[in-house]
Amino acid sequence: MGYQEYLVARELVSTFGQPILAYATLISAILLLLSLYYLVKREERIIEYSIKLLQVNTILIALGFIVLMWFHFKIYSTIEVIYPEYVTAYMYQTSGIQLTSSRFAIPLWIETEKLYFWALCLSLFAWQISRKYRESAKGIIVSLNIILSLLIVITYLYSNPFTEPLPIVHSEITNWSQAIAAQNPQIVGQIAMQLFGRITYYYNSMYMWTHPPMLFIAYASLAVTFAACVFMLFKKDEVFDKIAYSHAKIGYLLLTVGMLIGYPWAVLAWDGEWWWDSKINGSIMMWVLYSAYLHTRIHLHRKSMWEVTAILGIVCFISLVFTYLLTYVVPGIHSMAQV
Amino acid sequence: MSSTSSSSKSNSNLNLNLKNYDYYLILATSFALLLIGIVCVYGVWYSYDLYTTNSNWQSTIQFSEYITMMNMYVYPFVLVLLLSLGLCIPKRIVPRTALIKATAVILLLTLVASVVGGIGLGITFILLMSIAVQAVVLVLTVIKSGALTFEREGHLIQIGSSLLHLGTVLFIFDFASMRDSVYHIPVFWVVTVLMGIGTLMSFYPSEISRLGRKIALR
Repeated sequence: MGYQEYLVARELVSTFGQPILAYATLISAILLLLSLYYLVKREERIIEYSIKLLQVNTILIALGFIVLMWFHFKIYSTIEVIYPEYVTAYMYQTSGIQLTSSRFAIPLWIETEKLYFWALCLSLFAWQISRKYRESAKGIIVSLNIILSLLIVITYLYSNPFTEPLPIVHSEITNWSQAIAAQNPQIVGQIAMQLFGRITYYYNSMYMWTHPPMLFIAYASLAVTFAACVFMLFKKDEVFDKIAYSHAKIGYLLLTVGMLIGYPWAVLAWDGEWWWDSKINGSIMMWVLYSAYLHTRIHLHRKSMWEVTAILGIVCFISLVFTYLLTYVVPGIHSMAQV
Repeated sequence: MSSTSSSSKSNSNLNLNLKNYDYYLILATSFALLLIGIVCVYGVWYSYDLYTTNSNWQSTIQFSEYITMMNMYVYPFVLVLLLSLGLCIPKRIVPRTALIKATAVILLLTLVASVVGGIGLGITFILLMSIAVQAVVLVLTVIKSGALTFEREGHLIQIGSSLLHLGTVLFIFDFASMRDSVYHIPVFWVVTVLMGIGTLMSFYPSEISRLGRKIALR
Protein backbone atom coordinates (compact mmCIF):
# COMPACT_ATOMS: atom_id res chain seq x y z
CA MET A 1 0.00 0.00 0.00
CA GLY A 2 1.21 3.53 -0.68
CA TYR A 3 1.50 4.81 2.86
CA GLN A 4 4.53 6.97 2.00
CA GLU A 5 2.68 8.42 -0.95
CA TYR A 6 -0.25 9.18 1.34
CA LEU A 7 2.05 10.93 3.82
CA VAL A 8 3.48 13.11 1.06
CA ALA A 9 -0.06 14.04 -0.04
CA ARG A 10 -0.99 14.91 3.55
CA GLU A 11 2.05 17.15 3.83
CA LEU A 12 1.18 18.87 0.56
CA VAL A 13 -2.37 19.54 1.76
CA SER A 14 -0.98 21.45 4.71
CA THR A 15 1.59 23.28 2.58
CA PHE A 16 -0.97 24.51 0.04
CA GLY A 17 -4.07 24.67 2.21
CA GLN A 18 -2.67 26.59 5.18
CA PRO A 19 -1.82 29.79 3.30
CA ILE A 20 -5.12 29.66 1.41
CA LEU A 21 -7.11 29.57 4.64
CA ALA A 22 -4.79 32.11 6.28
CA TYR A 23 -5.40 34.61 3.45
CA ALA A 24 -9.13 33.88 3.54
CA THR A 25 -9.13 34.57 7.28
CA LEU A 26 -7.23 37.81 6.81
CA ILE A 27 -9.69 38.95 4.15
CA SER A 28 -12.54 37.89 6.45
CA ALA A 29 -11.16 40.08 9.22
CA ILE A 30 -11.03 43.06 6.83
CA LEU A 31 -14.52 42.20 5.55
CA LEU A 32 -15.81 42.09 9.10
CA LEU A 33 -14.39 45.54 9.89
CA LEU A 34 -15.68 47.00 6.63
CA SER A 35 -19.14 45.55 7.23
CA LEU A 36 -19.29 46.96 10.76
CA TYR A 37 -18.07 50.33 9.41
CA TYR A 38 -20.87 50.28 6.81
CA LEU A 39 -23.49 49.63 9.48
CA VAL A 40 -22.33 52.80 11.27
CA LYS A 41 -21.48 55.14 8.38
CA ARG A 42 -23.61 53.76 5.49
CA GLU A 43 -21.05 54.68 2.82
CA GLU A 44 -21.95 53.23 -0.57
CA ARG A 45 -18.39 52.57 -1.70
CA ILE A 46 -17.95 50.19 1.29
CA ILE A 47 -20.55 47.89 -0.27
CA GLU A 48 -18.57 47.77 -3.50
CA TYR A 49 -15.34 46.92 -1.64
CA SER A 50 -16.98 44.31 0.53
CA ILE A 51 -18.61 42.55 -2.44
CA LYS A 52 -15.22 42.36 -4.15
CA LEU A 53 -13.61 40.97 -1.00
CA LEU A 54 -16.43 38.46 -0.65
CA GLN A 55 -15.81 37.26 -4.21
CA VAL A 56 -12.07 36.89 -3.60
CA ASN A 57 -12.79 35.04 -0.37
CA THR A 58 -15.24 32.66 -2.04
CA ILE A 59 -12.66 31.84 -4.71
CA LEU A 60 -10.04 31.18 -2.01
CA ILE A 61 -12.38 28.94 0.00
CA ALA A 62 -13.31 27.06 -3.19
CA LEU A 63 -9.61 26.62 -3.99
CA GLY A 64 -9.03 25.20 -0.51
CA PHE A 65 -11.93 22.83 -1.09
CA ILE A 66 -10.33 21.64 -4.33
CA VAL A 67 -7.12 20.93 -2.35
CA LEU A 68 -9.20 18.88 0.11
CA MET A 69 -10.89 17.01 -2.74
CA TRP A 70 -7.48 16.15 -4.17
CA PHE A 71 -6.35 14.90 -0.74
CA HIS A 72 -9.42 12.68 -0.41
CA PHE A 73 -8.79 11.30 -3.87
CA LYS A 74 -5.17 10.56 -2.89
CA ILE A 75 -6.34 8.68 0.21
CA TYR A 76 -8.64 6.63 -1.99
CA SER A 77 -5.98 5.86 -4.58
CA THR A 78 -3.02 5.20 -2.25
CA ILE A 79 -4.50 3.28 0.67
CA GLU A 80 -5.97 -0.16 0.20
CA VAL A 81 -6.97 -2.38 3.10
CA ILE A 82 -6.35 -5.95 2.02
CA TYR A 83 -7.94 -8.36 4.47
CA PRO A 84 -5.98 -11.41 5.67
CA GLU A 85 -7.35 -14.76 4.57
CA TYR A 86 -8.65 -15.77 7.99
CA VAL A 87 -10.57 -12.49 8.28
CA THR A 88 -12.24 -13.01 4.90
CA ALA A 89 -13.07 -16.62 5.85
CA TYR A 90 -14.53 -15.48 9.19
CA MET A 91 -16.63 -12.74 7.57
CA TYR A 92 -17.93 -15.17 4.96
CA GLN A 93 -18.88 -17.76 7.59
CA THR A 94 -20.55 -15.31 9.98
CA SER A 95 -22.28 -12.87 7.66
CA GLY A 96 -21.90 -14.24 4.12
CA ILE A 97 -19.88 -11.16 3.08
CA GLN A 98 -17.21 -11.89 0.47
CA LEU A 99 -14.37 -9.55 1.45
CA THR A 100 -11.43 -8.85 -0.78
CA SER A 101 -10.20 -5.35 -0.10
CA SER A 102 -11.52 -1.87 0.79
CA ARG A 103 -10.56 1.67 -0.07
CA PHE A 104 -11.35 4.83 1.91
CA ALA A 105 -13.92 6.97 0.05
CA ILE A 106 -13.88 9.71 2.70
CA PRO A 107 -16.69 12.30 2.54
CA LEU A 108 -15.63 15.95 2.44
CA TRP A 109 -17.60 17.02 5.53
CA ILE A 110 -16.17 15.05 8.41
CA GLU A 111 -13.90 15.87 11.38
CA THR A 112 -12.30 19.31 10.94
CA GLU A 113 -13.77 19.75 7.46
CA LYS A 114 -17.38 20.29 8.63
CA LEU A 115 -17.16 24.01 9.34
CA TYR A 116 -15.07 24.56 6.23
CA PHE A 117 -17.79 22.99 4.09
CA TRP A 118 -20.44 25.09 5.84
CA ALA A 119 -18.35 28.23 5.18
CA LEU A 120 -18.02 27.32 1.49
CA CYS A 121 -21.78 26.88 1.13
CA LEU A 122 -22.47 30.17 2.94
CA SER A 123 -19.91 32.01 0.75
CA LEU A 124 -21.73 30.82 -2.36
CA PHE A 125 -25.13 31.90 -0.99
CA ALA A 126 -23.70 35.28 0.08
CA TRP A 127 -22.21 35.79 -3.40
CA GLN A 128 -25.53 34.95 -5.01
CA ILE A 129 -27.36 37.42 -2.72
CA SER A 130 -24.79 40.16 -3.45
CA ARG A 131 -25.37 39.71 -7.20
CA LYS A 132 -29.14 39.51 -7.06
CA TYR A 133 -29.96 42.09 -4.38
CA ARG A 134 -27.04 44.51 -4.73
CA GLU A 135 -29.35 47.55 -4.79
CA SER A 136 -32.36 46.43 -2.76
CA ALA A 137 -30.88 44.62 0.26
CA LYS A 138 -27.49 46.08 1.11
CA GLY A 139 -28.04 45.51 4.82
CA ILE A 140 -28.51 41.78 4.27
CA ILE A 141 -25.36 41.61 2.12
CA VAL A 142 -23.39 43.28 4.92
CA SER A 143 -24.94 41.05 7.62
CA LEU A 144 -24.11 37.92 5.65
CA ASN A 145 -20.55 39.16 5.29
CA ILE A 146 -20.36 39.51 9.08
CA ILE A 147 -21.73 35.99 9.67
CA LEU A 148 -19.43 34.53 7.02
CA SER A 149 -16.36 36.35 8.35
CA LEU A 150 -17.02 35.08 11.86
CA LEU A 151 -17.52 31.54 10.54
CA ILE A 152 -14.22 31.64 8.64
CA VAL A 153 -12.31 33.05 11.62
CA ILE A 154 -13.81 30.33 13.88
CA THR A 155 -12.89 27.69 11.27
CA TYR A 156 -9.31 28.95 11.13
CA LEU A 157 -8.93 29.03 14.91
CA TYR A 158 -10.83 25.93 16.03
CA SER A 159 -11.50 23.65 13.07
CA ASN A 160 -8.72 24.23 10.56
CA PRO A 161 -8.75 21.28 8.13
CA PHE A 162 -5.20 22.03 6.95
CA THR A 163 -3.19 22.10 10.20
CA GLU A 164 -3.66 18.41 10.88
CA PRO A 165 -5.74 16.96 8.05
CA LEU A 166 -8.33 14.35 9.10
CA PRO A 167 -6.70 13.33 12.41
CA ILE A 168 -8.92 10.28 13.09
CA VAL A 169 -8.60 8.92 9.54
CA HIS A 170 -4.86 9.52 9.76
CA SER A 171 -4.53 7.55 13.01
CA GLU A 172 -6.54 4.68 11.48
CA ILE A 173 -4.38 4.59 8.36
CA THR A 174 -1.19 4.83 10.45
CA ASN A 175 -2.31 2.00 12.74
CA TRP A 176 -3.05 -0.17 9.73
CA SER A 177 0.31 0.62 8.17
CA GLN A 178 2.17 -0.17 11.42
CA ALA A 179 0.27 -3.44 11.86
CA ILE A 180 1.22 -4.53 8.34
CA ALA A 181 4.85 -3.58 8.97
CA ALA A 182 4.92 -5.53 12.28
CA GLN A 183 3.65 -8.63 10.41
CA ASN A 184 1.62 -9.78 13.39
CA PRO A 185 -1.38 -11.62 11.88
CA GLN A 186 -3.49 -11.27 15.03
CA ILE A 187 -3.12 -7.48 15.20
CA VAL A 188 -3.56 -7.15 11.44
CA GLY A 189 -6.78 -9.17 11.72
CA GLN A 190 -8.11 -7.07 14.61
CA ILE A 191 -7.42 -3.76 12.86
CA ALA A 192 -8.77 -5.07 9.56
CA MET A 193 -12.04 -5.98 11.26
CA GLN A 194 -12.30 -2.52 12.82
CA LEU A 195 -11.49 -0.83 9.53
CA PHE A 196 -14.03 -2.96 7.69
CA GLY A 197 -16.76 -1.56 9.98
CA ARG A 198 -15.53 2.05 9.72
CA ILE A 199 -15.08 1.97 5.95
CA THR A 200 -18.28 0.10 5.10
CA TYR A 201 -20.74 1.63 7.56
CA TYR A 202 -19.27 5.10 7.99
CA TYR A 203 -16.86 6.52 5.40
CA ASN A 204 -18.16 4.75 2.30
CA SER A 205 -21.76 4.69 3.48
CA MET A 206 -24.38 6.19 1.16
CA TYR A 207 -25.86 7.94 4.21
CA MET A 208 -22.60 9.69 5.07
CA TRP A 209 -22.39 11.00 1.51
CA THR A 210 -25.94 12.38 1.55
CA HIS A 211 -27.19 13.15 5.10
CA PRO A 212 -24.49 15.62 6.33
CA PRO A 213 -23.99 17.64 3.11
CA MET A 214 -27.74 18.19 2.75
CA LEU A 215 -27.82 19.52 6.31
CA PHE A 216 -24.79 21.78 5.84
CA ILE A 217 -26.20 23.31 2.64
CA ALA A 218 -29.50 23.76 4.53
CA TYR A 219 -27.67 25.46 7.42
CA ALA A 220 -26.00 27.90 5.00
CA SER A 221 -29.29 28.70 3.30
CA LEU A 222 -31.06 29.15 6.63
CA ALA A 223 -28.34 31.59 7.75
CA VAL A 224 -29.55 33.82 4.90
CA THR A 225 -33.13 33.46 6.19
CA PHE A 226 -31.89 34.51 9.62
CA ALA A 227 -30.17 37.66 8.32
CA ALA A 228 -33.29 38.63 6.35
CA CYS A 229 -35.57 38.00 9.36
CA VAL A 230 -33.45 40.32 11.51
CA PHE A 231 -34.07 43.08 8.95
CA MET A 232 -37.79 42.20 8.82
CA LEU A 233 -37.98 43.17 12.48
CA PHE A 234 -36.84 46.72 11.72
CA LYS A 235 -38.49 47.40 8.38
CA LYS A 236 -41.60 46.07 6.63
CA ASP A 237 -39.95 45.66 3.24
CA GLU A 238 -41.21 42.84 0.99
CA VAL A 239 -37.70 42.18 -0.33
CA PHE A 240 -36.58 40.99 3.13
CA ASP A 241 -39.42 38.49 3.28
CA LYS A 242 -38.70 37.41 -0.30
CA ILE A 243 -35.06 36.64 0.57
CA ALA A 244 -35.98 34.98 3.88
CA TYR A 245 -38.65 32.77 2.32
CA SER A 246 -36.74 31.78 -0.83
CA HIS A 247 -33.84 30.58 1.31
CA ALA A 248 -36.09 28.97 3.92
CA LYS A 249 -37.57 26.89 1.10
CA ILE A 250 -34.15 25.57 0.04
CA GLY A 251 -33.16 25.04 3.67
CA TYR A 252 -36.38 23.32 4.71
CA LEU A 253 -36.38 20.98 1.71
CA LEU A 254 -32.80 19.87 2.36
CA LEU A 255 -33.34 19.76 6.12
CA THR A 256 -36.41 17.53 5.74
CA VAL A 257 -34.90 15.11 3.22
CA GLY A 258 -31.48 15.16 4.94
CA MET A 259 -32.97 14.35 8.34
CA LEU A 260 -35.18 11.64 6.86
CA ILE A 261 -32.20 10.01 5.14
CA GLY A 262 -30.49 9.86 8.53
CA TYR A 263 -33.34 7.81 10.00
CA PRO A 264 -32.69 4.33 8.47
CA TRP A 265 -28.99 4.88 9.16
CA ALA A 266 -29.77 5.47 12.84
CA VAL A 267 -31.99 2.37 12.92
CA LEU A 268 -29.15 0.29 11.46
CA ALA A 269 -26.34 1.78 13.51
CA TRP A 270 -27.98 2.40 16.90
CA ASP A 271 -30.21 -0.54 17.55
CA GLY A 272 -32.61 0.20 20.39
CA GLU A 273 -33.78 3.45 22.00
CA TRP A 274 -32.05 6.41 20.40
CA TRP A 275 -34.98 8.62 19.56
CA TRP A 276 -34.83 11.06 22.47
CA ASP A 277 -31.05 11.47 22.28
CA SER A 278 -29.97 15.12 22.73
CA LYS A 279 -28.93 15.68 19.12
CA ILE A 280 -32.13 14.06 17.85
CA ASN A 281 -34.12 16.30 20.23
CA GLY A 282 -32.31 19.33 18.85
CA SER A 283 -32.94 18.27 15.25
CA ILE A 284 -36.67 17.71 15.86
CA MET A 285 -36.86 21.07 17.63
CA MET A 286 -35.21 22.79 14.67
CA TRP A 287 -37.50 21.08 12.15
CA VAL A 288 -40.73 21.84 14.02
CA LEU A 289 -39.68 25.47 14.48
CA TYR A 290 -38.99 25.90 10.78
CA SER A 291 -42.35 24.21 10.08
CA ALA A 292 -43.98 26.77 12.40
CA TYR A 293 -42.16 29.62 10.58
CA LEU A 294 -43.47 28.42 7.20
CA HIS A 295 -47.00 28.14 8.61
CA THR A 296 -47.10 31.61 10.20
CA ARG A 297 -45.71 33.09 6.99
CA ILE A 298 -48.89 32.08 5.12
CA HIS A 299 -50.68 34.86 7.03
CA LEU A 300 -47.78 37.31 6.94
CA HIS A 301 -49.95 40.38 6.31
CA ARG A 302 -52.31 39.85 9.21
CA LYS A 303 -51.93 41.96 12.31
CA SER A 304 -48.60 41.30 14.10
CA MET A 305 -47.84 38.27 11.90
CA TRP A 306 -44.97 40.04 10.13
CA GLU A 307 -43.18 40.45 13.48
CA VAL A 308 -44.15 36.96 14.70
CA THR A 309 -42.75 35.40 11.49
CA ALA A 310 -39.54 37.44 11.73
CA ILE A 311 -39.03 36.47 15.39
CA LEU A 312 -39.69 32.81 14.54
CA GLY A 313 -37.11 32.98 11.73
CA ILE A 314 -34.55 34.29 14.22
CA VAL A 315 -35.47 31.71 16.90
CA CYS A 316 -35.19 28.97 14.24
CA PHE A 317 -31.60 29.94 13.47
CA ILE A 318 -30.70 30.11 17.16
CA SER A 319 -32.11 26.56 17.46
CA LEU A 320 -30.00 25.54 14.44
CA VAL A 321 -26.76 26.79 16.02
CA PHE A 322 -27.81 25.22 19.34
CA THR A 323 -28.42 21.87 17.58
CA TYR A 324 -25.04 22.03 15.83
CA LEU A 325 -23.24 22.77 19.09
CA LEU A 326 -25.05 19.94 20.91
CA THR A 327 -22.72 17.49 19.13
CA TYR A 328 -19.77 19.02 20.98
CA VAL A 329 -21.38 19.99 24.29
CA VAL A 330 -23.95 17.40 25.34
CA PRO A 331 -22.87 13.73 25.41
CA GLY A 332 -25.06 11.22 23.61
CA ILE A 333 -25.21 8.63 20.87
CA HIS A 334 -24.83 11.27 18.10
CA SER A 335 -22.18 13.24 19.94
CA MET A 336 -18.47 13.87 20.29
CA ALA A 337 -18.76 15.40 23.75
CA GLN A 338 -17.49 13.69 26.88
CA VAL A 339 -18.51 14.41 30.46
CA MET B 1 -79.81 41.75 -9.42
CA SER B 2 -80.38 42.04 -5.70
CA SER B 3 -80.26 38.25 -5.28
CA THR B 4 -76.90 38.17 -7.19
CA SER B 5 -75.54 40.88 -4.95
CA SER B 6 -76.70 39.15 -1.77
CA SER B 7 -75.29 35.84 -3.03
CA SER B 8 -71.89 37.41 -3.76
CA LYS B 9 -72.00 39.11 -0.36
CA SER B 10 -72.72 35.78 1.35
CA ASN B 11 -69.92 34.16 -0.69
CA SER B 12 -67.50 36.85 0.37
CA ASN B 13 -68.62 36.42 4.01
CA LEU B 14 -68.05 32.68 3.65
CA ASN B 15 -64.57 33.28 2.24
CA LEU B 16 -63.78 35.71 5.04
CA ASN B 17 -64.96 33.21 7.66
CA LEU B 18 -62.92 30.47 6.04
CA LYS B 19 -59.89 32.77 6.00
CA ASN B 20 -60.33 33.37 9.72
CA TYR B 21 -60.85 29.66 10.27
CA ASP B 22 -57.64 28.89 8.33
CA TYR B 23 -55.81 31.58 10.25
CA TYR B 24 -56.72 30.21 13.66
CA LEU B 25 -56.00 26.64 12.58
CA ILE B 26 -52.58 27.68 11.32
CA LEU B 27 -51.96 29.51 14.59
CA ALA B 28 -52.96 26.35 16.51
CA THR B 29 -50.67 24.23 14.29
CA SER B 30 -47.75 26.62 14.78
CA PHE B 31 -48.37 26.72 18.52
CA ALA B 32 -48.42 22.90 18.74
CA LEU B 33 -45.16 22.76 16.75
CA LEU B 34 -43.62 25.36 19.06
CA LEU B 35 -44.63 23.35 22.13
CA ILE B 36 -43.10 20.18 20.64
CA GLY B 37 -39.92 22.23 20.22
CA ILE B 38 -40.05 23.24 23.88
CA VAL B 39 -40.48 19.58 24.93
CA CYS B 40 -37.34 18.78 22.91
CA VAL B 41 -35.35 21.53 24.66
CA TYR B 42 -36.53 20.17 27.99
CA GLY B 43 -35.34 16.69 26.89
CA VAL B 44 -31.88 18.08 26.07
CA TRP B 45 -31.64 19.84 29.43
CA TYR B 46 -32.98 16.81 31.34
CA SER B 47 -30.62 14.28 29.72
CA TYR B 48 -27.64 16.62 30.13
CA ASP B 49 -28.49 17.02 33.79
CA LEU B 50 -28.57 13.22 34.19
CA TYR B 51 -25.23 12.91 32.34
CA THR B 52 -23.52 15.32 34.69
CA THR B 53 -24.56 13.30 37.74
CA ASN B 54 -24.06 9.84 36.20
CA SER B 55 -22.25 9.49 32.87
CA ASN B 56 -23.52 5.91 32.58
CA TRP B 57 -27.18 6.84 33.11
CA GLN B 58 -28.29 5.31 29.80
CA SER B 59 -27.56 1.84 31.18
CA THR B 60 -29.77 2.44 34.21
CA ILE B 61 -33.53 2.49 34.83
CA GLN B 62 -33.35 6.28 34.50
CA PHE B 63 -33.05 5.90 30.72
CA SER B 64 -36.32 4.00 30.22
CA GLU B 65 -38.01 6.43 32.62
CA TYR B 66 -36.70 9.31 30.52
CA ILE B 67 -38.02 7.74 27.28
CA THR B 68 -41.45 7.17 28.86
CA MET B 69 -41.50 10.73 30.22
CA MET B 70 -40.62 12.26 26.85
CA ASN B 71 -43.28 10.17 25.08
CA MET B 72 -45.85 11.25 27.69
CA TYR B 73 -44.97 14.93 27.26
CA VAL B 74 -44.95 14.93 23.48
CA TYR B 75 -48.07 12.82 22.78
CA PRO B 76 -50.65 15.54 23.67
CA PHE B 77 -49.04 18.02 21.29
CA VAL B 78 -48.79 15.41 18.53
CA LEU B 79 -52.50 14.80 19.12
CA VAL B 80 -53.24 18.54 18.76
CA LEU B 81 -51.16 18.57 15.58
CA LEU B 82 -53.03 15.60 14.10
CA LEU B 83 -56.38 17.14 14.99
CA SER B 84 -55.48 20.50 13.49
CA LEU B 85 -54.24 18.78 10.31
CA GLY B 86 -57.49 16.80 10.22
CA LEU B 87 -59.49 20.03 10.48
CA CYS B 88 -57.31 22.12 8.20
CA ILE B 89 -56.62 20.05 5.10
CA PRO B 90 -60.12 18.66 4.31
CA LYS B 91 -61.94 21.89 5.26
CA ARG B 92 -63.43 22.48 1.79
CA ILE B 93 -64.64 18.95 1.09
CA VAL B 94 -66.70 18.65 4.24
CA PRO B 95 -68.85 21.44 5.72
CA ARG B 96 -67.07 23.02 8.66
CA THR B 97 -69.62 22.07 11.32
CA ALA B 98 -69.65 18.45 10.11
CA LEU B 99 -65.85 18.45 10.14
CA ILE B 100 -65.72 19.74 13.72
CA LYS B 101 -68.33 17.13 14.78
CA ALA B 102 -66.38 14.34 13.01
CA THR B 103 -63.16 15.50 14.71
CA ALA B 104 -64.91 15.49 18.08
CA VAL B 105 -66.12 11.92 17.44
CA ILE B 106 -62.60 10.82 16.40
CA LEU B 107 -61.17 12.43 19.52
CA LEU B 108 -63.78 10.70 21.70
CA LEU B 109 -63.09 7.32 20.07
CA THR B 110 -59.36 7.90 20.53
CA LEU B 111 -59.91 8.54 24.23
CA VAL B 112 -62.08 5.41 24.51
CA ALA B 113 -59.41 3.36 22.67
CA SER B 114 -56.73 4.79 24.99
CA VAL B 115 -58.71 3.88 28.11
CA VAL B 116 -59.60 0.39 26.85
CA GLY B 117 -56.38 -0.63 25.09
CA GLY B 118 -53.81 1.81 26.36
CA ILE B 119 -52.28 4.96 24.89
CA GLY B 120 -50.61 2.93 22.10
CA LEU B 121 -53.97 1.80 20.73
CA GLY B 122 -55.37 5.34 20.99
CA ILE B 123 -52.45 6.77 19.05
CA THR B 124 -52.66 4.00 16.41
CA PHE B 125 -56.39 4.66 15.99
CA ILE B 126 -56.07 8.41 15.50
CA LEU B 127 -53.10 7.98 13.19
CA LEU B 128 -54.99 5.52 10.99
CA MET B 129 -57.93 7.93 10.86
CA SER B 130 -55.59 10.79 9.93
CA ILE B 131 -53.92 8.72 7.21
CA ALA B 132 -57.35 7.86 5.78
CA VAL B 133 -58.42 11.53 5.77
CA GLN B 134 -55.15 12.75 4.20
CA ALA B 135 -55.25 9.96 1.59
CA VAL B 136 -58.83 10.89 0.57
CA VAL B 137 -57.79 14.57 0.32
CA LEU B 138 -54.83 13.59 -1.85
CA VAL B 139 -56.98 11.50 -4.19
CA LEU B 140 -59.55 14.30 -4.50
CA THR B 141 -56.79 16.80 -5.20
CA VAL B 142 -55.17 14.63 -7.84
CA ILE B 143 -58.46 14.16 -9.70
CA LYS B 144 -58.83 17.94 -9.57
CA SER B 145 -61.85 18.02 -7.32
CA GLY B 146 -63.66 21.32 -7.76
CA ALA B 147 -64.60 21.17 -4.10
CA LEU B 148 -61.03 21.74 -3.01
CA THR B 149 -59.30 25.07 -2.67
CA PHE B 150 -56.23 25.59 -0.56
CA GLU B 151 -54.86 28.61 1.14
CA ARG B 152 -52.48 29.17 -1.75
CA GLU B 153 -53.60 28.64 -5.32
CA GLY B 154 -52.20 26.29 -7.90
CA HIS B 155 -52.86 22.65 -8.52
CA LEU B 156 -49.24 21.59 -7.98
CA ILE B 157 -49.12 23.38 -4.61
CA GLN B 158 -52.34 21.61 -3.59
CA ILE B 159 -50.99 18.18 -4.52
CA GLY B 160 -47.64 19.01 -2.87
CA SER B 161 -49.30 20.14 0.33
CA SER B 162 -51.44 16.97 0.43
CA LEU B 163 -48.39 14.75 -0.18
CA LEU B 164 -46.40 16.56 2.52
CA HIS B 165 -49.16 16.28 5.12
CA LEU B 166 -49.88 12.62 4.24
CA GLY B 167 -46.13 11.93 4.52
CA THR B 168 -45.95 13.60 7.93
CA VAL B 169 -48.86 11.60 9.35
CA LEU B 170 -47.54 8.38 7.80
CA PHE B 171 -44.12 9.04 9.34
CA ILE B 172 -45.62 9.45 12.83
CA PHE B 173 -47.63 6.24 12.29
CA ASP B 174 -44.59 4.32 11.01
CA PHE B 175 -42.54 5.49 13.96
CA ALA B 176 -45.18 5.06 16.67
CA SER B 177 -46.84 1.83 15.55
CA MET B 178 -44.61 -0.02 13.08
CA ARG B 179 -41.16 0.03 14.63
CA ASP B 180 -41.10 -3.76 15.09
CA SER B 181 -42.63 -4.52 11.71
CA VAL B 182 -40.62 -5.80 8.74
CA TYR B 183 -42.31 -3.03 6.72
CA HIS B 184 -40.96 -0.28 8.98
CA ILE B 185 -38.09 0.80 6.71
CA PRO B 186 -39.95 0.26 3.37
CA VAL B 187 -42.83 2.42 4.70
CA PHE B 188 -40.24 4.93 5.85
CA TRP B 189 -38.85 5.25 2.29
CA VAL B 190 -42.39 5.83 1.03
CA VAL B 191 -42.62 8.64 3.62
CA THR B 192 -39.33 10.14 2.38
CA VAL B 193 -40.56 10.13 -1.22
CA LEU B 194 -43.94 11.63 -0.25
CA MET B 195 -42.40 14.39 1.87
CA GLY B 196 -39.56 15.13 -0.54
CA ILE B 197 -41.81 15.40 -3.61
CA GLY B 198 -44.51 17.13 -1.54
CA THR B 199 -42.09 19.81 -0.36
CA LEU B 200 -40.68 20.30 -3.86
CA MET B 201 -44.16 20.69 -5.37
CA SER B 202 -45.32 23.06 -2.62
CA PHE B 203 -42.26 25.30 -2.87
CA TYR B 204 -41.44 25.27 -6.58
CA PRO B 205 -44.72 24.80 -8.51
CA SER B 206 -43.92 27.25 -11.31
CA GLU B 207 -40.45 25.78 -11.89
CA ILE B 208 -41.87 22.24 -11.99
CA SER B 209 -44.67 23.16 -14.40
CA ARG B 210 -42.15 25.02 -16.63
CA LEU B 211 -39.96 21.90 -16.63
CA GLY B 212 -43.01 19.72 -17.36
CA ARG B 213 -43.97 21.94 -20.32
CA LYS B 214 -40.41 21.77 -21.69
CA ILE B 215 -40.38 17.96 -21.46
CA ALA B 216 -43.83 17.77 -23.07
CA LEU B 217 -42.67 19.98 -25.97
CA ARG B 218 -39.78 17.63 -26.72
